Amino acid sequence: MGSLLEELGWKNFIGHEYPAHTGEPVLARDIRRYALAIDDDNPIFFDEAAAKAGRHKGLTAPLNYISWSVGVPGAEKATKDLGEDGLSSFVGIPNIPNAFSLGWVRGGEELEFFKPIYANDRVTVRGRVTNMAEKVGKSGTLVFVTSEFTYTNQNDEKLATHVVTMIASPRKEEAE
Amino acid sequence: MPSQIYFDDVSVGQEIPVLTKNVNTVNILMYCAVVWLMDRIHFDNPFAVKRRGLPDIVAPGNMAPDYYVQLLTAWAGDKGRLRKLGVQFRNFMVPGNVLTCGGRITGKTVEDGKGRVDLELWIKNQDGVVCVPGKGVVELPIRAE
Repeated sequence: MGSLLEELGWKNFIGHEYPAHTGEPVLARDIRRYALAIDDDNPIFFDEAAAKAGRHKGLTAPLNYISWSVGVPGAEKATKDLGEDGLSSFVGIPNIPNAFSLGWVRGGEELEFFKPIYANDRVTVRGRVTNMAEKVGKSGTLVFVTSEFTYTNQNDEKLATHVVTMIASPRKEEAE
Repeated sequence: MPSQIYFDDVSVGQEIPVLTKNVNTVNILMYCAVVWLMDRIHFDNPFAVKRRGLPDIVAPGNMAPDYYVQLLTAWAGDKGRLRKLGVQFRNFMVPGNVLTCGGRITGKTVEDGKGRVDLELWIKNQDGVVCVPGKGVVELPIRAE
């Protein structure tokens, strides 16, 4: 049996760097709405005075907001330019072929936190594909794509690192 | 404010206080809207069920680390820090789920004069199914001599 990774033309993407991306300033409104969505009522997300009364220098965001704090490059498209599943592209690897011939799920994540995110920060993400692997299981071949991202703020302070493993398998759609 | 927990006061095998989360269509929509996540499996039931074979719409997996962040930062207190968090997505979180987020201390060591606590973590649904197991590292303050 041949390699699915080779068939897809993905092997050369191991080590591929994602384009560095700097987000717009983090909005207090988005922090508040995010905290409401995850039902975390800690006042440091809602009230600047409460945040400053503790160890923070201003309104801070939930730590896991980090990957959203830069926005999702390329995701903001008109509906006509999105795939039928609502997605814009596969996890941001530009020009990767055959991305939509597979179904994607999130496998796992590892986060390391160094400093908090504050309202009005401009966060930059840099990342690269660190590994691709394939495994033949009961339901066919699975492809594992691992990427590592580093987040820094406008003062070039490291905020967090984030390792994400996505799992892809050839689509098996059920009949409508 | 809850009282600060100290490294000196915790022991291996100890469980930390649990956090309960209710997954529903409204908080999934709030999450997708604020982060601009337009994947139809999160809000379009016929698409999720008929086209993707899912049991219902599913919560974004990324909400699980948020629950762990809340669990662990609340436990660590103002003088503690959440340093590392690892998660594995095993089972979907769906509307109607009542999730219990918990953790157990698996190790404690002093590193560079700081108290490091390792934990194994779980998010279980109301049927006891572990949806997103995890691991965490929390730094706790050490009492002054």
